[in-house]
Amino acid sequence: MASTGHTNLNAKLVLLGDMGAGKSSLVIRFVKGQFLEFQESTIGAAFFSSTLAVNNATVKFEIWDTAGQERYHSLAPMYYRGAAAAIIVYDITSVDSFARAKKWVQELQKQGNPNMIMALAGNKADLEDKRNVPAEEARLYAEENGLFFMETSAKTAVNVNDIFYELAKRLPTAQPSQSPAGMVLVDRPAEGFRAGCCT
Amino acid sequence: MVEFSMANPKSKPGSESKSHSRNVLEHFAGLNPSIPPIRSLAITTNSDSQTLVFIGTVAGDVISLSLNPNSGLSLHLRVNIIGKPVSSIHVVSHIKKLIVLSDGFIYLLDLNSLEPVRKLSLLKNVNVVCKRYFSRNYSLNNGIIIGNEDGCFFAVGVGKKLVLVEIVLSGSPIILKEIQGDFTDGIMCISWVDESIIVGTRSAYYLYSYASGQCGVIFSLPDPSVMLPRMKLLAKECKVMLMVDNVGVIVDSEGQPVGGSLVFGEVSETMGEIGAYVVVVRSGNLELYHKKSGYCVQRVSFVGEVGSPCLVADEEDGRGKLVAVAAGSKVMCYMKVPSEEQIKDLLRKKNFREAISLVEELQNEGEMTRETLSLVHAQVGFLLLFDLRFEEAVDHFLLSETMEPSELFPFIMRDPNRWSLLVPRNRYWGLHPPPSLLEKVVDDGLTGIQRAIFLRKAGVETAVDNEFLLNPPSRADLLESAIKNMTRLFKVYWLSCLCGTSKAKPCLCTEKDRQFLEASRHKDLTPSVREGVDTLLMYLYRALNRVDDMERLASSENSCIVEELESLLSESGHLRTLAFLYASKRMSSKSLSIWRVLARNYSSSHLKDSHGTNHVQDTTKGISFDQEIAVMEASKILEASSDQELVLQHLGWIADINQLLAVQVLVSDKRTDPLPPDEVIAAIDPRKVEILLRYLQWLIEDQDSDDTRFHTTYALLLSKSALDANEKEHATQNSEGVNQKEINISDRGNNSIFDTHNRERLQFFLQSSDLYDPDEVLDLVERSELWLEKAILYRKLGQETLVLQILALKLEDCEAAEQYCAEIGRPDAYMQLLEMYLEPMNGKEPMFKAAVRLLHNHGEMLDPLQVLERLSPDMPLQLASETILRMLRARLHHHRQGQIVHNLSRALDIDASLARFEERSRHVLINDDSICDSCHARLGTKLFAMYPDDTIVCYKCFRRQGESTSVSGRDFKRDILYKPGWLVTR
Repeated sequence: MASTGHTNLNAKLVLLGDMGAGKSSLVIRFVKGQFLEFQESTIGAAFFSSTLAVNNATVKFEIWDTAGQERYHSLAPMYYRGAAAAIIVYDITSVDSFARAKKWVQELQKQGNPNMIMALAGNKADLEDKRNVPAEEARLYAEENGLFFMETSAKTAVNVNDIFYELAKRLPTAQPSQSPAGMVLVDRPAEGFRAGCCT
Repeated sequence: MVEFSMANPKSKPGSESKSHSRNVLEHFAGLNPSIPPIRSLAITTNSDSQTLVFIGTVAGDVISLSLNPNSGLSLHLRVNIIGKPVSSIHVVSHIKKLIVLSDGFIYLLDLNSLEPVRKLSLLKNVNVVCKRYFSRNYSLNNGIIIGNEDGCFFAVGVGKKLVLVEIVLSGSPIILKEIQGDFTDGIMCISWVDESIIVGTRSAYYLYSYASGQCGVIFSLPDPSVMLPRMKLLAKECKVMLMVDNVGVIVDSEGQPVGGSLVFGEVSETMGEIGAYVVVVRSGNLELYHKKSGYCVQRVSFVGEVGSPCLVADEEDGRGKLVAVAAGSKVMCYMKVPSEEQIKDLLRKKNFREAISLVEELQNEGEMTRETLSLVHAQVGFLLLFDLRFEEAVDHFLLSETMEPSELFPFIMRDPNRWSLLVPRNRYWGLHPPPSLLEKVVDDGLTGIQRAIFLRKAGVETAVDNEFLLNPPSRADLLESAIKNMTRLFKVYWLSCLCGTSKAKPCLCTEKDRQFLEASRHKDLTPSVREGVDTLLMYLYRALNRVDDMERLASSENSCIVEELESLLSESGHLRTLAFLYASKRMSSKSLSIWRVLARNYSSSHLKDSHGTNHVQDTTKGISFDQEIAVMEASKILEASSDQELVLQHLGWIADINQLLAVQVLVSDKRTDPLPPDEVIAAIDPRKVEILLRYLQWLIEDQDSDDTRFHTTYALLLSKSALDANEKEHATQNSEGVNQKEINISDRGNNSIFDTHNRERLQFFLQSSDLYDPDEVLDLVERSELWLEKAILYRKLGQETLVLQILALKLEDCEAAEQYCAEIGRPDAYMQLLEMYLEPMNGKEPMFKAAVRLLHNHGEMLDPLQVLERLSPDMPLQLASETILRMLRARLHHHRQGQIVHNLSRALDIDASLARFEERSRHVLINDDSICDSCHARLGTKLFAMYPDDTIVCYKCFRRQGESTSVSGRDFKRDILYKPGWLVTR
């Protein structure tokens, strides 16, 4: 969750999306300014932190780059739990990845933090000739679901910093979340207390 | 963007990348007893530093092994419980008990004797046991004393039920809570940290809060899971690592993930923790992963029995130094290599980056001091230096706070030298050869590279930098790089000493070095080390022939030893540097001699130059730029020097080149003791009149010298030059044919170093000074046309008539003449002037206009009768009547003016009298409370007085104080009081 301290803001940010959509590439481009043609797939989740200055405040993003593989899907709630922002990444050359992105949006809307700021990133924008997801369609979808949308390219760095900056800019205006950070534990029926006796 | 953390490295899982490899663990002891296969394992070190390893076998044995530093592992005790496999063993050191899980029952054993075996029959069908771990903070906040016999808590998994148990003093269990309903898939593993219990089932990991009784899913496991859930308490950070396949997800006690996932090469059944690393074992391999970065840093192979599971156990408190590993029936102990040894090992492998990052890590964890970090930086620096990587070496030297600059002296100057004894015999970890001259370092390094190339051809790998092998560097390049970087280092040392003396000059170095400089701690070097640093820096500059830097160093504040550099610099022809150096070391005489020689050399070379080619420089005066510099530097030294002999010795050649600088030397106010004027005057070349003039002017005007000789000499010299100038002016005026340009040139040829005209200065001086001898000056100018000067001189001599004659008749300056009469102030002077006007001698026409003017302005001073007598009979009546009229009018005017002044004064007097009267007739009201402002006595009916400032005093005090000073201390005689009502306004 985003928490303020003076003008410093700590914000948990999570990247979700289909395998191979370019989540890690996007983060590595943003954090280290690098791009690897053959980025190995993330296992579990990778963690990065990066600080940027927006509107006289510094926002420290704690970025969780999750694994896109279906096998690790069940880990995702742990990472988006309490996140202040999320970037849902799809690959503009893959319709499937766009469908998967929509599923992620639904999941976040249902289970995520209601004040979470969500961005939809159509990655691999440099592969225009292989495009399979029209930008307009994604834009329309984003508008309908209250996301902000950008087409990015980790390879050419187009819109990469912009999307993170835009998220950072929207952060301080977000309402504080009703639920505290950390896990939400559910009450359970009281258990019987039984005094032990000697064996 | 400022930072990023490493996690989930995208290198191949489990691959031990060379650059991150560290030697953290080493095999310490091993034992292969003939026992059934081992099923469970624990290790503990008690307060007496005695280490015990406990193993449980598939056959129900619980065996304790003792670990002795000398003899290794040995069988200690062995008991058999019920012949069923021992699934887990837990050490509860603070109650000296062992908790053993076998066949669904929990047994309590004594830690040291393994007896008596006590079964906790309250709990049946137990599949997992875990003891509660208290973090340091929690213990402090909740008053739990670790080691106290209370507070032995356990979480027990019984099928789908979580049972929390406390074992009290007697060894009896008390069930605190039973939780069911959440863990429907059966509890497989548990960790309990403070208030948080993390439970793993076949389908998910849960967090149960002991404080609130609430429970939630951390995450569910992918279905179908290849492996059962496993977890490992990371006691050091109070976190728990949850496994999904071969991935470790570390969560905190709130169930929040911390850092990236750890990806292990293989799926491991048990995990251990040692320091910043997680240990996993599988198929005869022990692997170490760095918790923060996720890198696999070490892999150790051990011979395991094929097919038998491997186990690993740590000391469970996060501070242990040992891990135990079991495979089959074999037990091994691995010990953490001391940090220092780890670093040394990395350095030996030339993995400098990893060594530094390890040191920084250790420092962050408080396990290493800044001093050690500095030591490592220095050590790395030396290693890099011998590896011929000079720039990096210097960077590390600069990062070391403890390294002495003198440690590098032997690399630059051959031993023995002046500083040999200063060099600390610090060999660090002895990983590098003893220091030797940079040339030798380079030569040896090159030999090493040659050997490595040869070996590589033969298929042998060496530690030599691959880059060097591919492109062997040239000796010259290496040496240059070495010297350049050493220069950089010494420059930072030098500048940091300067900063220490508040003369910060960080602008002299690069951005990178500026950072070093700002962080520099070398501000308090001993004087002798500073001498070494600065002298060697000069050496290095000289080696690089960086003349500008040499001169900057020499002319700035430095601690160079002149004797070390003298012959060196003069041999290499760096005379200017030497001159600067002498100057900065107050060896003025030597510095001056060099400048003199340089000025002479420059002039001769310059002459040659200008003869040969068409020189761009201003050749009109035949003085080159270099010569100007030389003379400027020399004059700078002399300006501050009080050494009379030295100044006068060098004055000559400076004057030859630049008279203005020569004057500056003489009149400088930088010296403490002024030069004796007589000697200076004697020493000035009599042909250089201007210098003498300026010097005398300074003596008289600035130094207020009242020596009449100087005044007279000055007056004479000024007169002479005025006469010369006058003559020249005449000459030019006479030669009509000479065109304007030539006059200009001749003017320039006669260029004076002074701006103002001597004539004006002469007149001013003659008028203002009373100390010169007017007769002597007069002798000089008497026959000249310097009339005004003559008038001034005559005036000094009191020759009124002559003065008036010059002013009135020669110069026809009526104003000056009248002014002079006013100065004399006697009426007869005016009369004398009038006579002169009316009867000028030498056949001059009478100056009636001037006469009329005189009568008009000063008529009142002249007696009308006398004037009438003086009037010439030839005077035209019209003029005469006007003259007389003016005079009479002037007298009348004068009289009336007097009357006005008189009456105005009277009016003032009356005003004042009136004000005084009113003041004195003021009424004062005195009542019973009125007191004297001075003695504070009640006035009553006593006599009293009031001052103009309204203070009232009794008569006694009035007498004491006098009538002009009031109680407030105001003296009305000195500090006059005016009141607004008074009419006196002037």
